[in-house]
Amino acid sequence: MLPKRFDQARPFFTLGIILLVWVLLPLVLKTFTRATFFAIQAPLIVADSYVQDLQTFWSNRLHSKDELLKAGKDLSGLIAQYEFSVQQNKELEAEILRLENLLKLPSMPAFRFEPARVARRDFSGWWQRIIIRKGDNYGIPVGAPVVFAGGVVGRVIEVHHYTAVVDLLTSPTFRLAATVSGDNKPISYQGGLNTSFRSPRGTVEFVPLDILASKNSPRRLVTSGLGGVFPPGLAIGDITRLEPSTDGLFKSGEVALDERLGSLTEVTVLVPLNPEEL
Amino acid sequence: MRRYDPRWFIVAGANLLLWWLVGLANNYLANSAVHLYVGGLFVIYAALRLDRKHGLIAIVLTGLLIDAAEPVPHGTSLLLLGLVHATLLYGRQRFPREGAVFGIVVALFANLFLVIALSFLLVGANPRPASAWLRIFADLLASQLFLLLITPWFLALQDRAMELVSIHPETGRRVSL
Repeated sequence: MLPKRFDQARPFFTLGIILLVWVLLPLVLKTFTRATFFAIQAPLIVADSYVQDLQTFWSNRLHSKDELLKAGKDLSGLIAQYEFSVQQNKELEAEILRLENLLKLPSMPAFRFEPARVARRDFSGWWQRIIIRKGDNYGIPVGAPVVFAGGVVGRVIEVHHYTAVVDLLTSPTFRLAATVSGDNKPISYQGGLNTSFRSPRGTVEFVPLDILASKNSPRRLVTSGLGGVFPPGLAIGDITRLEPSTDGLFKSGEVALDERLGSLTEVTVLVPLNPEEL
Repeated sequence: MRRYDPRWFIVAGANLLLWWLVGLANNYLANSAVHLYVGGLFVIYAALRLDRKHGLIAIVLTGLLIDAAEPVPHGTSLLLLGLVHATLLYGRQRFPREGAVFGIVVALFANLFLVIALSFLLVGANPRPASAWLRIFADLLASQLFLLLITPWFLALQDRAMELVSIHPETGRRVSL
């Protein structure tokens, strides 16, 4: 019979053995375990999103014909506007191509746009991420930029068969090279200021001293296109506060981010046509 | 013939259900920048009511389920939940472990420990740790209040599930209804 002291400490002993086995387990098996356990709960993660879609479908079916006719009329006006924008866009793209050839510039990265529904939002003080309802099945790669109408959403960090996890712009682990709109000097952006019941904010570092910004006259922060997968010119947020950094060589400050990031339902994944760009 | 013993499966299943419901709540709370964490509750039934073996299996499975979905080093939740489980097992003979009130108290303390441990592990990545701790404190407060409300329900749910399969949670013997 085991001594009483050992019997009392047995839970810790058992836990120690389990952890030792876990540490010694090959990485392949750990990765397989993680993928398997994610796959077990993946249907649960996306289920409520599909139920919500169904709910929206049935509530839309309750609209009267008059309402639908009015919505159709409004929509046709919008389509006409967008058709004109598409035409203008094509002309501008042709102009860019002509200038690239003329100046022998390297071509801009090309993307395929993959719209995806947001299945789950997970915003804590530790991490900020969303799970989208498209993954390997739509050829979404790890590292692909994710955008919405208001600008940058984040970056794909995990891809599963039917879902993908996006690290959000507001996450402390999200870093990006940015510039102030109309300027070309690079600035370092990092997410992570997520106070309760307040709009999300990010931080900027290495801001050149000649750039001024305040709450009353904010400066637009956009992607620089340098050293990353994000194309240049995508909106990140507005710099609302800048103060000299401790070394006095640069400034650091805060960026007010789009409030809609907390209630996203649809995003677009920019899938590079050349996978080597990731 | 030996009868199949589903105690670990019931507890792990209940934990998965709770995990999903809390995830759903967090999905809707995202816009308010509030996050609920109920890790402490996953351990309570397994540590206070189940026998050691089935409790441990349920906790290992729950830990791996959480690790698969969270952006933490794989095995973190397994370690933390396992540690809380082992600590509770160590002293459970001395506890009045049948009561819901004691379950609530233990769940609150376990959750507090898990949040603090996770925060020490993850808060270093934040550009302004002081601001991050403020947010974590607000989330912790909301989570503890939420735990206070749902712990009796969650313990009763697992008790009821054990009754439905007519099994005593600790001994595994058949119980007549």
